[in-house]
Amino acid sequence: MGREREVVSRRIREHSTNKILTRSVLLGFRSVFSAATPDSICYTAMGKSKSSRKGKKAWRTNISTQDIDDFYEKSSKDALSGGSLTEVPSDSLFFVDKSRDLSVKRKIDKCREKVLRVDSILQKNSFVQAIPSSTTKKSKQRQKEIQRAPSSSQVRKDGTMDTGMVDIWNDEGANAVKKRKVSNKAILIPAVEVEPPGCSYNPSSESHQDSLAHAVADEMQKVYTKELRPTPVPLTVVGEVVDVEDMYFLDADNESDGDVEDKEVDSNGDADLEKRPFKTKRVTRVELNRRARNKEKLKMEAETKKLKEFSKDLNSLPDIINEIAKEDEEKSKRHLRRVFAKQERLKSCPPRLGRHKFEPAPVQVLLSEEITGSLRKLKACCTLARDRYKSLEKRGILVPTAKSGRK
Amino acid sequence: MPKHYRPAGKKKEGNAARYMTRSQAVKYLQVSLSVFRRLCIFKGVFPRDPKKKVKGTHQTYYHVKDILFLKHEPLLDKFREMHAYEKKVKKAVSKKNKDLAERLLTRKPTYTLDMLIRERYPKFIDALRDLDDCLTMVHLFAALPAIERENIQAERIHNCRGLSLEWQAYISRTHKLRKAFISVKGIYYQAEVEGQKVTWLTPHALQQVMPQDVDYKIMLTFLEFYETLLGFVNLRLYHSIKLKYPPILDPRLKALAADLYALTRYVDAKDRTIGANNEESELRLAQLQDQLPANEPGALMHLVENVADDNEEDEETRACKTLFQNKTFFLGREVPRESLLFVITAFGGVVSWEGDGAPFEESNQDINYQIVDRPTQSHRFISRDYVQPQWVFDCINARIILPTGEYMVGKVLPPHLSPFVDNEAEGYVPEYAETIKRLQAAARKEILPMPGGEQDDLENAQNLLAEGIIDRTKAKEAAERKQKMAVHEKQYHQELKKEMQGMQYTSDPNIDEIKNNGEENTDDMSSQQLVKDDENMTMVSMSRKKRRLYEAMKISQGRKKANVETLETRKKNIQKSKKTSSN
Repeated sequence: MGREREVVSRRIREHSTNKILTRSVLLGFRSVFSAATPDSICYTAMGKSKSSRKGKKAWRTNISTQDIDDFYEKSSKDALSGGSLTEVPSDSLFFVDKSRDLSVKRKIDKCREKVLRVDSILQKNSFVQAIPSSTTKKSKQRQKEIQRAPSSSQVRKDGTMDTGMVDIWNDEGANAVKKRKVSNKAILIPAVEVEPPGCSYNPSSESHQDSLAHAVADEMQKVYTKELRPTPVPLTVVGEVVDVEDMYFLDADNESDGDVEDKEVDSNGDADLEKRPFKTKRVTRVELNRRARNKEKLKMEAETKKLKEFSKDLNSLPDIINEIAKEDEEKSKRHLRRVFAKQERLKSCPPRLGRHKFEPAPVQVLLSEEITGSLRKLKACCTLARDRYKSLEKRGILVPTAKSGRK
Repeated sequence: MPKHYRPAGKKKEGNAARYMTRSQAVKYLQVSLSVFRRLCIFKGVFPRDPKKKVKGTHQTYYHVKDILFLKHEPLLDKFREMHAYEKKVKKAVSKKNKDLAERLLTRKPTYTLDMLIRERYPKFIDALRDLDDCLTMVHLFAALPAIERENIQAERIHNCRGLSLEWQAYISRTHKLRKAFISVKGIYYQAEVEGQKVTWLTPHALQQVMPQDVDYKIMLTFLEFYETLLGFVNLRLYHSIKLKYPPILDPRLKALAADLYALTRYVDAKDRTIGANNEESELRLAQLQDQLPANEPGALMHLVENVADDNEEDEETRACKTLFQNKTFFLGREVPRESLLFVITAFGGVVSWEGDGAPFEESNQDINYQIVDRPTQSHRFISRDYVQPQWVFDCINARIILPTGEYMVGKVLPPHLSPFVDNEAEGYVPEYAETIKRLQAAARKEILPMPGGEQDDLENAQNLLAEGIIDRTKAKEAAERKQKMAVHEKQYHQELKKEMQGMQYTSDPNIDEIKNNGEENTDDMSSQQLVKDDENMTMVSMSRKKRRLYEAMKISQGRKKANVETLETRKKNIQKSKKTSSN
């Protein structure tokens, strides 16, 4: 029995392909010890025989006990040495090294210390003589600058240094300035627009109501445009949980569609196949003559129709003239209206200069409860930079960007 | 001989040939986008709006000739040099070549904008026309905090402050200020320089906030240009009143950072040769940097004492000079000092305030008005009026000294009206404006002796209308009254005649009355008819364009009248509701 045990365990160690040891295997392992000798294992002189892999007994040979052995060895070693490493706190194993006496030199610094060949060549060598080059444009400009520089910074009589500022409008005709070929169109909007009297720090009630109405109207317009806008398509839609059975149906649907398509294609193909054996009928002379006659008839009819229309138009000529006149008038009126509207629009906002539309700044008006009448308690506007920026945009000097539109 | 051909895709004429997009322009000039932006701002090149946008409506279009104009600008070379210089410095630093880097740092290339200003504003008058935006920008930056993140340096802010104070000193010295208006955004001023009206906006004395949606690099570029422009303008203005520019300030006052006062002492003492040296400007800078938050402007006191008369003063300047003449003011601690100083001295007054470096103390006996803004003020001195700051501004706009009764401490102030609004044109005159007008008329009547009071309304209605003392409606009423009087007179004369003629008067009273009425009516009718006929005649003789303009004018007038009517009904309703609520 002991010898069998040895044999079996050796076997298992040798055939260590299957490493997973389940409980049943272990049980089987134990039962081996009590069972009789297995019959399927037979030893020949040449070594192992190609026995069939089927069967519990044959399968048991492929079990390796390496894992269990390792575990037992490890636990016995841990018990001997005083506990496994996983139970030890990390502080006793590791520590943070805060010593600074190590000089860490980065790789790039090491590379930089090396002098490049380029630089070593460029360093001055007394044996190399400079080649005289012809004066270039830059050096000529430098010479001119140097000549001009000492003449301008003159010290005045009373010892004060002229700061160099000269009245540039003094000598008008000295440097005739060229006029620009395409001058800028006159900007209708003034640079500094004074606010309406309702925006005073202590306004009269009527003008205050006026300005408040303006501000309220602007806000309401924004609100209305937001509300009346069509709802945008959502990026993600909350989906419902699909049952497993429904999934099968979905799959079935997909497949069935595919089948139907295929079938149609097939049927079309079949229809074509059916039609192909019949040739197209020959066009006889009779048919051709008939067609020619029909064509002639149609032509004649079209001509008479045209003549009729023409005579109708001639009869109603004055009406047509009136219509044309009215249309012209309407067109001219519409044109005038558009021109005036454009001019009016230019007075209040700039033309579209880029991707984004100009957003005027909100009217700076005090709310009714904020009017204290006292200059000290005035809740003043503290973002004047934005007012200047919007003024520049309004005049068309700056193009509105995405950042400037958003608050 | 190569055949001249146009490259594929290049158009010969039309909007496509005349306008190019911003990216095309940047590629053509061979600069980076930020340099292109700066150049456009310096040269005054703006994007345009062509009728046909060839490359799409989301692009910005510039005129080709504008871009060609930019190409021949010597500043481009300077910018390229600076870019190359920066690369050299960076290379030297990264190669650990310290001495080369230091040598290069001493040779930084710079540029000046003088030629540009000369090019854009060939005459001084052109510069004055563009001064609005310039002044507003400089005043705004003088009040901004120096934020490192946005690259706004403290030195530039000091420079802006200096420039703005110099401008204010000039305006108040030459009494050129005409209007002032306190609004929520800030204080609007209007001055008249060499016939040109200059309007600018100064922020309130609050700490300004920097909103995030403003591109500060662009603002700083504008500021650079406008600083130079304002410097030159100030130079010319100071030379015109025979003062040295840049002004050299009294070091003691500089130490107290009382800039405006120091400036005006300088302006005043032009005859004295104050030995100036370069160190002073540096000293000033250092001291100002130390005392940035507590900058206190000074008073233009001594100015009024040694006034050098300009012979070319016009009437308005003289009127403005004499408004606050011989009146002394004292400012409390809580009022906006800088603006009040500027305004009061611009109209000839003498000012002082609490603090070091002030001309005189609070206890001085000569003070006529003390400006305070507290809810209660114990009147320690009986000889002076304690008023709120709005009084000063309203006086300036009305050009008379208003009675201080309504502006006393603790009272509810009358509304602060805008002098920039022409009440006649609007057709609606607020109540307080009418009271002011009456006061103005009263003041004028004191100056010019008039024979009778009532008759003036009727006879000189037109004159009074022209002077703006009464408004158009009143003038019309006066004219109607006059007409009725004339009609009654005529009737009286006729009755007299009939009495003289005989008893025919009594026999046909009705007919005569009717006739008289008829005559009156016909008179009225004929006058109206005449008016209408005149109108029709002129309408017929006008061209279509002018007729349309006339009709448009009429429509806008009608609209204004409707506006006025709604305002008046609103007023009535408010008054009615007040009455009912009080009842």
